[in-house]
Amino acid sequence: MEQAPRKTSFLQAARAVFWSFFGVRKRTDYDSDAVKLTLGQVIAAGLIGAALFVGVLLGVVYLVTHLAAK
Amino acid sequence: MADAQQQNSTVLKKLIIVTVLMFGFGFLLVPFYKKICEVTGISKDKIAVSNTQMDPARWVSIEFDANVGKNLPWKFEPLTAHLRVHPGEFKQVMYRVVNTTNRTMVGQAIPSYGPARAGSFFQKIECFCFTQQTLKPGEEKIMPVQFVVQNDLPKDVHTITLSYTFYEQVKADAS
Amino acid sequence: MEATHAQDHGHGHPTGLMRWITTTNHKDIGTLYLWFAFIMLLAGGCLALLIRAELFQPGMQVVTPEFFNQLTTLHGLIMVFGAIMPAMVGFANWQVPMMIGAPDMAFPRMNNWSFWLLPVAAIMLVSSFFVPGGASAGGWTMYPPLFLQGGISNDMTIFAVHILGISSIMGAINIVTTILNMRAPGMTMMKMPLFVWTWLITAYLLIAVMPVLAGTVTMLLTDRHFGTNFFNAAGGGDPVMFQHIFWFFGHPEVYIMILPAFGIVSQVIPAFARKPLFGYASMVYATGSIAILSFIVWAHHMFTTGMPTSAQLFFMYATMLIAVPTGVKVFNWVATMWRGSMTFETPMLFAIGFVCLFTIGGFTGLVLAITPVDIQLQDTYYVVAHFHYVLVSGSLYAIFAGVYFWLPKWTGRMYDEKLGKLHFWLSTIFFNILFFPMHFLGLAGMPRRIPDYALQFADFNALATIGAFGFGLSQLILLVVVLKCIKSGAKAADHTWEGADSLEWTHLSSPPPYHSFVTPPVVK
Ligand code: HEM
Ligand SMILES: [Cu+2]
Repeated sequence: MEQAPRKTSFLQAARAVFWSFFGVRKRTDYDSDAVKLTLGQVIAAGLIGAALFVGVLLGVVYLVTHLAAK
Repeated sequence: MADAQQQNSTVLKKLIIVTVLMFGFGFLLVPFYKKICEVTGISKDKIAVSNTQMDPARWVSIEFDANVGKNLPWKFEPLTAHLRVHPGEFKQVMYRVVNTTNRTMVGQAIPSYGPARAGSFFQKIECFCFTQQTLKPGEEKIMPVQFVVQNDLPKDVHTITLSYTFYEQVKADAS
Repeated sequence: MEATHAQDHGHGHPTGLMRWITTTNHKDIGTLYLWFAFIMLLAGGCLALLIRAELFQPGMQVVTPEFFNQLTTLHGLIMVFGAIMPAMVGFANWQVPMMIGAPDMAFPRMNNWSFWLLPVAAIMLVSSFFVPGGASAGGWTMYPPLFLQGGISNDMTIFAVHILGISSIMGAINIVTTILNMRAPGMTMMKMPLFVWTWLITAYLLIAVMPVLAGTVTMLLTDRHFGTNFFNAAGGGDPVMFQHIFWFFGHPEVYIMILPAFGIVSQVIPAFARKPLFGYASMVYATGSIAILSFIVWAHHMFTTGMPTSAQLFFMYATMLIAVPTGVKVFNWVATMWRGSMTFETPMLFAIGFVCLFTIGGFTGLVLAITPVDIQLQDTYYVVAHFHYVLVSGSLYAIFAGVYFWLPKWTGRMYDEKLGKLHFWLSTIFFNILFFPMHFLGLAGMPRRIPDYALQFADFNALATIGAFGFGLSQLILLVVVLKCIKSGAKAADHTWEGADSLEWTHLSSPPPYHSFVTPPVVK
């Protein structure tokens, strides 16, 4: 309604999601997120972020079990 | 105002679709879960206990036979007439029995073996012959026999005939 | 009120009982939800007191073992689905429209339905005590194979869960639509009060997982009566699969119960610290990420089911990492209070109690997330202590904080501050007497859900029972406070708490008109 969805860098969505997993986001960054990012972008980035998160964890698990096997 | 209602019902529709999809997703988790167990082999170590008792080198033919006593007008037959098994292998076959009379009758099946000495190596785990069978007029029953032929079956036995005969059990007899 | 009746276009309202049955007003429905939750809290509390009475001493004194199992099962179900969740929806009904400057919820008639389904489900649950065989007795988690056996009460429980699920989903849809579409001009998403944000995310969680729960219990039902074998091992099903699907719902569910609590506390603390919420943006993002991540940790409830090591490690790491955004929130609340000019009225006391005690529950959660430790502690009183620290001193304390905070707004009258403080202090003292010893009991190996126990557990159990009766009776003070406030409280100012800055305080009278914001306010 109020923000015309503007084309913006995927990077900003990714950055917003990364910080959100940590749970911290600067107010100024947040304000610019709110202006520049659309809901769809954030959700997409969130799902990709969650998948990456799972992937990294699986990698760590693989390393741990692999090293332990030696 | 009408515009706002329009917007609301758009959101409503979308959310109802999500709800229905998630309901389906709950059921989708079932095959998903089975697939994961299969692919990762999680359940293998539980289920795939191989039958170490079985002797895969040897085959035995089993023939199934069914008779009724002369006072019992029942229809009685094996659904499988013939089976090849390994000694030590667990198998199940079905028998069908129909009470063709118009009164309720009680029967009991008695097994016998040919050759007779094979009987002590033919181990029945579950059998309809363990109990009396009561059939109402016209009733039909499909009944299981689960068995294992033991490994120490004498080497010269290649075929076993399992034969059942149904006899009527007269009620209130002092057995 | 007079002024608002003029805006009613002249059509009259039913009065008396019919007013409440037919109401589509968000304030009325909020009130109904809150009273329903309170009644369920007392009902569930009575069951808990029976449990504690039996556990006062070793041996069997008060109830039979079968009945004991029914008590623990129904206590859990009633508290989760009857008390905490409806109370949170009650807050959403009262507060969301007022906080975003909307005249009402988006679908008022559906709102009426979602409330009136609740008493139906509650009656079904409670009356299952009186059917042959008694109520469900397999635990609130409804695990097969026990739940596939058992009598008609299990079917009643399944239907009750279906109804409660439908009610929650309708409520959630209403809340999402209201927040997305009905904000006043100028009320952008990032200006929304945090309570609204937490409820928006909670509502999405509800829409995502309540249907899964409905599906799961449907599978239980068809396994019981229609010859399917989803979970029936004898027919080739897998009872462990039930646990996976249940906890896929279950872990997001615990966040459904805590996120609105985070929202309430995030309104109360800034108001009494007289500082804006520290890290508003972080709070929003942390809430969102908690919601997403809550879908990938479910198997921490199942460490003893014989999962492969790699899966145990995955769920251990994921669970520990999800505690990070939760921890960030705690830091933000503390930072909000830091150097604030704080006063300690009852809502603030409950909010501070929340921050302190919820943190203890968070830490015991972390302990339980360590797989080798959990294998020792699974199904012991340590787990019971954990989830009561997060649910009672977490969700319930936030509910109390919210009730004291908004009671002057809702009723237009002040509550009795002395009694409120008494309620807080008695609750907090007895709560700790009740639940803190359970940590020791669990560490010493006392299993949960048993009616009798070995002699060495006797002292801590006796202590816990004393705490339980103290805590239970203290809740009657709340009833007195609320009734007294409604009947004879002093007139409350419109802007009761000068530190609070959301729309209901700055733009509406106390009590607010029956239809508020018929013409939307303009925000900034
Ligand atoms: C800091 C974040 C948290 C962590 C790391 C955590 C971890 C855990 C773990 C590992 C268990 C399983 C214990 C077992 O059965 O052996 C558990 C159980 C439980 N948790 Fe948490 N938890 C956290 C926060 C919460 C919150 C916020 C709530 C609810 C408001 C909650 C409610 C529960 C409940 C109800 C159970 C027990 C369910 C049952 O078996 O009946 N937890 N938690
Ligand atoms: Cu959990």
